[in-house]
Amino acid sequence: MKKIFSYCCRSCAKMLILTVGLLHSLISNAEDFLIKNAIVHTATKQGVLNETDIYVSDGFIMQVGKNIQLDGKHTLIDAKGKHVTPGLINASTQLGLVEIGAALSTVDHSTKNTMQGASFSVASAINFRSTLIPQNRINGLTRAIVRPSGGTSIFQGQGSVIALLSDQQGLISEHSAQYANYGIAGANISGGSRASAYLVLDKALDEANYLRHNRSEYKIGYDWKFSQSVQDLDALKGVLEKKVPLVISVHRSNDILQMIKLAKKHSVRLILAGASEAWMVADEIAREKIPVIMDPILNLPSFESLSIRLDAAAILNEAGVKLVFTGIDWQSTHNGYLVRQSAGNAAAYGMPAEDALKAMTINTAEVFGIKNYGQIAVGMEADIVVWDGDPLELTSNADVVLIKGINQAMVSRATRLRDRYWDLDNIQMKAFTR
Amino acid sequence: MTRTKTLSKQLLLLILVVGVSSCSQEKKDKEDASTQPQPFPSTYRPILSDSFVIEHATVLTGTGKQLEDASVFVEKGKIKLVGQNFYVAPEIKRYDANGKWVTPGLIDVHSHLGVYASPSIESTQDGNEMTNPVTAEVWAEHSVWTQDPGMPLALAGGVTTFQVLPGSGNLIGGRGVTLKNVFARSVQGMKFPGAPHSLKMACGENPKRVYGKKNRAPSTRMGNVAGYRAAWIKAEKYRNDWDKYYESLGSEKEKDKPKRDLQLDTLVDVLRGNILVHNHCYRAEEMLVMIDIANEFGYKIAAFHHAVEAYKVADVLAKENICAAVWADWWGFKHEAFDHVKENAAMVDNAKACAIIHSDSAIGIQHLNQETAKAMAAGNKNGLKLEPKDAIAWITSNPAKAIGIEEKTGTLEENKMADIVIWSHNPFSIYAKAEKVFIDGALMYDRDDPGKQPVSDFDLGITDPTGERL
Repeated sequence: MKKIFSYCCRSCAKMLILTVGLLHSLISNAEDFLIKNAIVHTATKQGVLNETDIYVSDGFIMQVGKNIQLDGKHTLIDAKGKHVTPGLINASTQLGLVEIGAALSTVDHSTKNTMQGASFSVASAINFRSTLIPQNRINGLTRAIVRPSGGTSIFQGQGSVIALLSDQQGLISEHSAQYANYGIAGANISGGSRASAYLVLDKALDEANYLRHNRSEYKIGYDWKFSQSVQDLDALKGVLEKKVPLVISVHRSNDILQMIKLAKKHSVRLILAGASEAWMVADEIAREKIPVIMDPILNLPSFESLSIRLDAAAILNEAGVKLVFTGIDWQSTHNGYLVRQSAGNAAAYGMPAEDALKAMTINTAEVFGIKNYGQIAVGMEADIVVWDGDPLELTSNADVVLIKGINQAMVSRATRLRDRYWDLDNIQMKAFTR
Repeated sequence: MTRTKTLSKQLLLLILVVGVSSCSQEKKDKEDASTQPQPFPSTYRPILSDSFVIEHATVLTGTGKQLEDASVFVEKGKIKLVGQNFYVAPEIKRYDANGKWVTPGLIDVHSHLGVYASPSIESTQDGNEMTNPVTAEVWAEHSVWTQDPGMPLALAGGVTTFQVLPGSGNLIGGRGVTLKNVFARSVQGMKFPGAPHSLKMACGENPKRVYGKKNRAPSTRMGNVAGYRAAWIKAEKYRNDWDKYYESLGSEKEKDKPKRDLQLDTLVDVLRGNILVHNHCYRAEEMLVMIDIANEFGYKIAAFHHAVEAYKVADVLAKENICAAVWADWWGFKHEAFDHVKENAAMVDNAKACAIIHSDSAIGIQHLNQETAKAMAAGNKNGLKLEPKDAIAWITSNPAKAIGIEEKTGTLEENKMADIVIWSHNPFSIYAKAEKVFIDGALMYDRDDPGKQPVSDFDLGITDPTGERL
């Protein structure tokens, strides 16, 4: 089935090329690749395949198997002794929305505009020329969920999915999720109590639902009497129609149960984020099939995450909860690729390594609706990383990164600086070192 | 009344005699000794432990050696023998470390454990006295909450010693303190015996932002530099006043005792070489300016901290014998942290300068081995040949050197404190866990024995009245 589908995709892609007339530019980029003799971490039920070849054409994986022989023109990548994974995804970043954290002119991930809570949508602000994108790309991160943060509403707004490309083609999905806060962050914005935060969320969803069914009655110029701006309530329509998941940041186990209750009442697709104490209510979360976004390396207690622990991912995974990883916490944007370190810690503390890999590939793709992505399998988009060692080991580095079947230059601003200063002779002549 | 008077006369005489006799000693003594008494002395005493030997381990000594199937013998809290094929009496306790790795206890040169404790709330922000750009008079140890639950977590990461520094909001933030990672009800009970104090200084964006916002100096980098120099000029005068006072003692023209100033006490002890400067500084230009200031006033910088641009001046750091204490990969949170390269520590090391991986984080301190693994691998990916035996120095002997405790800990050598970690794997593997951690020969953490895993007061009964937090 998958094979047929992939060929369909391939011909679709070709038709598109002809129609749009981008024949030259795309063909010059999208080579055919044959990756030979790799240790392939498929992120499928097949697990790890040794001495395996992968054939990539037109941006898709066309074949996975032993001793693939090709006649046509292709680029050979010898991966003997090397490891291959799908391109990694970080489930919670602000890539493209911040260049320098403390330079506010480079920061677009939140707004003080009180009319924009749920309606705040980050997609239009994403800067694909950000230096963060190549730095993450050459370290194996090929996709990211880009999310809003902060703001003046309990709803933070809408996030996007990007491919780590340095142009507008990187925008994969504009509205991939709606974000909200509960726990202390939600309380602070709602008057100072979790109880207030619960009411704010509950009321907003009620009002959005009402407005959704009575939209025609409300026109410009009316005196609106809602708790949120009308554009914010309109923006919750996708959540109520279950087209878009609602990601709620929440930590305390009791708070998590409250959010599950709220999600059931309003029939929305809940994703728990942060979720430090989720492991304590793992069975309830698994039963409701609610995914959890977490950074497994976090283990410092706060007063709403007193029971946070390093083996939480292992416990949740064992209980059958679908996990998607982010990390490393304070650098999950500039170093979004370090989701690999967080996943590695989950594995070190008991989660099977291949499950940890899924939590930064296929699970994330499924939870955020990224089609044909996240596995080394026929029909998948060819976002592929060749590693020089075990992909969870921090002593390993990426050798080759393909995004949509295009081989990425392993260069970033950081590697340029490194090369300029690798030796410190003739400093004045560095002016001419490019 | 008379009796008291006589007594006090005698006392006065005695003091004078002592004073004169100390004055008549070599001049060097006076200059090296601190001008003031040393309060808050360490009360830490090692837990007494029996002799033991760790056998069949892969040992990273911290001195650049990797030994296979090696043993480490500990007696009375000190390392006595490290090597292969030596005899240990059969009654001595043995730890079989076959397949495991042994390193010195890890040392974090830059921590805020206890002064920015967990849980992080309003009342735990005790690391920055941001009421004046120069607060050399404050001591980080007076903010330390010994029950920070981050401390036992760091121990589980193999950290046996850490330096607690004030924050970087001020030009001169105050004294740092080096602690043993042990349970105590007082900070004195954790203080590393004989470790010098440090002085935290900060370059760049933080002090100028903090005070610029208050519409007072410094609000620019040039204002920062004027601020440091003004402080050292005051310190020079204070030192001279005390020197002249001591010189005059016993002479005919005895001078009045100068008025003590807590701020200047600390700065003078830096000028006298008794306190080591740890300087938060990101940019190449600023590091070189700070070196010139140190030369101008005659003090020594032990380490630049964060030093995101250390790779640009690695040759100078080597020449000046200044360590660069860096993260493996943090960048971009500020403009001065924008020129990050993953190879920073490796390039510093390659220039024969002293490279250190520090945490500045209560999570990072639990994974210093992982941070070092990344920094090592980045260098190797670009052609260097760094091995675990080299990189382990970045979190053991090099931070010991920067802190000024290298004679006591940081390597596995004869007569060093038996601060030792047994790791489940090569410590630079993601799967490596500290299995057993010894401090001065006492087993302070055992991953296999919940009874040997310390629990802070905070952890006790907070989630379950009959249990602990973890």
